Amino acid sequence: MMKWILISAVSSCIFSTALAQQDTLVGNGAITVFTATKTERSLSNIAVPVQIISQKTIQQAGSLRLSDILSEQTGLFMTNGFGTGVSMQGLNPDYTLILIDGEPLIGRTSGVLDLKRITVGNIKQIEIVRGPSSSLYGSEAMAGVINIITDKSRKNTLGISTRYGTYNTADFSVKGSVRTNRINYQGFGNFYRTDGFSIRPNSRERSVAPIERFTQQHNLGFRLSDRSNLSLNIRHNSETIKNNITVINNGNSINSVGVEKNEDLNTTLQLAHKFNERVKNTTRLYATQFNSSQELISDNGVPYLDAFKQQFARIENQTDFNLNKQLEFNIGGGYIHETANSTRYDNSTSIKTNRIGYIYLQSEWRPLNKLTFIGGARYDNNELFAAAFSPKLALQYKIDKKISLKASIGRGFKAPDFRQLYLNFTNTAAGSYSVFGSVEAQKIINELNRIGQISSLEPSFYQLSNLQPEFSTGFNVGASYQDEQWHISTNIFRNNIENLIDSRLVAYKTGGAQIFSYLNVKNAFTQGVETDIKYRYNNQWSFSAGYQFLLTGDQAEINAIKDGKVFTRDQNGFSRKMNQSEYVGLPNRSKHMANIKLQYEHQNFFANARALYRSRWATTDTDGNGIFNTNDAFAKGFIQLNIAAGQGFNNGLSVQAGIDNLLNYTDVLNLPNLPGRTYYLSISYNFLNKNPK
Amino acid sequence: MSKMKQMILVLGIVVSLVACSKDDNSGTSAVVETLTVKDLPADTIIGITPGAPPTGGFPYGAGRYTFYSLETNKIVPASDSASNKWDLAFKGTTIATNSGNSGPGGAGAFVYVGLFNDLKTIPADSSFRTDNAPSAFAITTGSNRGWYVYNGLNQLVTPIPGRVLVVRTASGKYAKVEILNYYKGGTTPAANASDAIKLNTQRYYTFRFSFQPNGTKTF
Repeated sequence: MMKWILISAVSSCIFSTALAQQDTLVGNGAITVFTATKTERSLSNIAVPVQIISQKTIQQAGSLRLSDILSEQTGLFMTNGFGTGVSMQGLNPDYTLILIDGEPLIGRTSGVLDLKRITVGNIKQIEIVRGPSSSLYGSEAMAGVINIITDKSRKNTLGISTRYGTYNTADFSVKGSVRTNRINYQGFGNFYRTDGFSIRPNSRERSVAPIERFTQQHNLGFRLSDRSNLSLNIRHNSETIKNNITVINNGNSINSVGVEKNEDLNTTLQLAHKFNERVKNTTRLYATQFNSSQELISDNGVPYLDAFKQQFARIENQTDFNLNKQLEFNIGGGYIHETANSTRYDNSTSIKTNRIGYIYLQSEWRPLNKLTFIGGARYDNNELFAAAFSPKLALQYKIDKKISLKASIGRGFKAPDFRQLYLNFTNTAAGSYSVFGSVEAQKIINELNRIGQISSLEPSFYQLSNLQPEFSTGFNVGASYQDEQWHISTNIFRNNIENLIDSRLVAYKTGGAQIFSYLNVKNAFTQGVETDIKYRYNNQWSFSAGYQFLLTGDQAEINAIKDGKVFTRDQNGFSRKMNQSEYVGLPNRSKHMANIKLQYEHQNFFANARALYRSRWATTDTDGNGIFNTNDAFAKGFIQLNIAAGQGFNNGLSVQAGIDNLLNYTDVLNLPNLPGRTYYLSISYNFLNKNPK
Repeated sequence: MSKMKQMILVLGIVVSLVACSKDDNSGTSAVVETLTVKDLPADTIIGITPGAPPTGGFPYGAGRYTFYSLETNKIVPASDSASNKWDLAFKGTTIATNSGNSGPGGAGAFVYVGLFNDLKTIPADSSFRTDNAPSAFAITTGSNRGWYVYNGLNQLVTPIPGRVLVVRTASGKYAKVEILNYYKGGTTPAANASDAIKLNTQRYYTFRFSFQPNGTKTF
C-alpha cells in the first residue's frame, strides 16, 4: 500500500512540474484543448468555437457509443444510413473529421464514418472544433473536427464497469494504468453486444442488427529523459453484425442472411523532444487499416460478397517555436500513403493508391493581454487530384474577465474519396443500374459504347473530368460571457461550399439501365446560430440549454425560384410557380434544434434529465420539382427525453440506472435507428483509488 | 392467383368507369374549354414475372396502349389504332403520339416548361417532334427527361410540375395537356405505402387539356 501512495505522489509531482511550465499563451485554465491549434491551450484562450465534453458528462449520460453522447450536443445530429454519422453546422457527415488522440479514423461507407464503432469507455474528453480546420488537419475538416482524447491516467488505476439493458444490450469494460518514474501503461478493453431491434411490425429485418464488438487499446509511454518522451498507442476494434436483409423489389421480397465484419487497427508511435524551453519537436508515425466484409446468401441460394480494405500510413513532424510570451510558431509537414481495394471496384485485387505530401504553418500572436491572433495555412499536394490550399485566420478579444469575442475565417476541403474515383458497382437487385467512379466512368462507358451497349449519352457525360476537391469557406463570429454562475456562448456561422460532388445520370444502356457517375456539380451554403447556456443555481442544482437555428440551401436553386423557373402544385394538382418562402434548402436538416439538461448532484449522488428537440425536416421530394420545399414530405419534429441517476460509494463501487427515450417516441419511416423506451443498469468498481471522485 | 383475377377485375371496372369532367373556366375570356380526364388506365399491372431480379420479378401489364382522342375526349378502341382517330396513346409512363412510326396521323408534340394557363399561344418558332419508337418519342421518355420523375427509393412516379405537353393532333389541330397524376383516384400513394398499393394503383393517368378546334395555335 505504501508503495502505491509513493508512486502516486511521484506522479503528481511530475504533473505539477508540467503545470508550472505553462507559458502565457497556454494560460492557467484548468481545462486544456489540443484540437483547435494542434498545441495544448487553455480553453478560455481559444480563438475558434470549441466545445469540450468531459468524462463525467459522458458517464452521467449513460452513453456507450460515441454517437450516444454527440447526439445530445447543440447543433449536432446523427444521420441514419451507412452507419450512424454526425452532421455539424448543417453539413453532411462526410465533412467532419473524426480523430482519436489526434489521428484520423478511416473506413467510411458512402462518406459516413459509423460512430457506433467507437466506445466511450476510455474517453477523457471529447473536443469539438466548429468551422473549417483544414489549415491544420487537411482533408475532411470542412465542417469541423471531433477529437476523442483517451484517458491517460496519471495514477495507478484498475476498474471495471458493466452495464445491461433493454434488447439484451450488454457492455463490459476494464481499464487500468500503471505508472513508474519512466514508464507508464494504460490498457482498456471493451465488449459490447446487443440483440438489435426492429420497430417495424412483422418485419424479419431489424432496424439495428444483432452486433458484437470488441475494442482494446494499449498505450505505453517511456520518459526517455527530462526532455524526451516516446509513446506507442495501439487500438483494435472488431465488430460482427448478423445481417438479415430483405430487399423488396416490385412486391417480390428477397431475404438474405449472413455476417458483416468490420475491423479497425490503429497504431501510433510518437516521439516528443524539447530542445529547450522555446523549441519542441514532435514526430508521429501513424498506421491504420480498416477491413470490412459482408457475406450474404439469399433464400434462393445466391451468394453475395462485398469486401473493402483501406490502409492509411502517415508520418508527420511538428515543431513548436515559443519565441516569447507573445509569439509562437508551429511548423509541420507530413506524407500520407493511402490505399484501398474492394469488390466494388473494377477488380478486388487491384489496389488503388493515393499519396499526399503536405506542409502547414501556424502562428499565434498575442500583442495585448486581451487580444490573440491566430493565422495558419496548409498546402496539400495530392497525387490523384488538384492540390488544396487552406488558410485560416482567427482572433479573440477579451473585453474583460467575463466577456470575450471571437471571429474566424477559414477554408476547408475534402478530397474526392476512392469510391468517387473508382467505384464500379451494378445493382442487379434494383433495376441493374450502375454507379462508376469518375476515373472509371469514361473508360467503361466509352468501351460499352464501342460495342453498342449504350443507347444514349447524357449531357453530364461530357462534363466528366478529373474530380476537384470540394471546398468550403467558413465564417464564425461569437461571443461568450462567464461568471460564477453563468456561462453563455453564442456563435454565428456561415459556410459557403463549392464544388460539391454529387452523382449524376451520365448514360443509358441499351436495355434502359441507368449509369451514374460523380461530378463536381453543386454549391451549397449553411448558416445559423449556435447558443449554449449553463447556469449553476447552487452546489446541488444546475441547468444547461442549447439551441441551434439553421438555414441551408443552394444559391442556384434560389435564383431559379426568383426567376420563376421552379414550379409546384396547388390543391387541385395544377402546377403553379413556387414562392421563395416555400424553399427549404437541403433535406434532412431541422431549422430548430434544442437541448435542455437539468442536473442534481449531492455528495456522491447525481440525477439528471435531458431533453432533445428537433423540428421537422424534409425527407422526400413529393411534388417532383427536384427542390425541397414546404409542399414536400417531412418527418415530424420530436422530443426525446432521457433520464439517469447514480450513486457512488466509498468502497469504490458505483451504481447507475437510466431510461432513454422516456416518452417512447418512434418514427418507423424516418428514425428507424431510434428504439422506443429503453432501460439500463450499470455497476462499476474501482479496485484502486476508491474515492468516488 | 385470385389476386391476379382481382386485379384484372379492377382493371375492367376502371376502364368502363373512366370519367371525363368539365373544368371550371373562371376566366370569362377563355375561348377554349379545359377538360379533365381522370383515371385513364395505361397498361395497368396484371402480374409480376416469376423469379428475382435481374432475370425476373418485374411487374407487367397486358402490353397494350390506351388510345385517346383529344378532339372527341374519348378512349379510342385499339382496333382503330391504325387510323387518324386518336391523338395520344398511353402505356405505363410512355406517351405516344399518332405520328412517325407510332401511327398514320400527322400528330406531333413537345414538352413546354411553364404553366398550363400561361401558355396562351404556342410560339411560332416551336418545333413539334414525331415518334421514332421505341428509341425516341415526341414526348421524351425516362425519368426527369420529359413529363415525370421516378424516385428509386420509394418507386413512385411523380409528374414534374410546370410541364405542358404541347400536342398537334392527328388531324393537325392543336392542344395542350398537363399530366396531373399517375395513380388511381389522382392521389400518389404515401412513400411508405405497401408495394401492393403502389402496384395496383399506378398507371392511371389524371390529366387536363385544352383542345383548340379552329386550327389556330391560340387557347
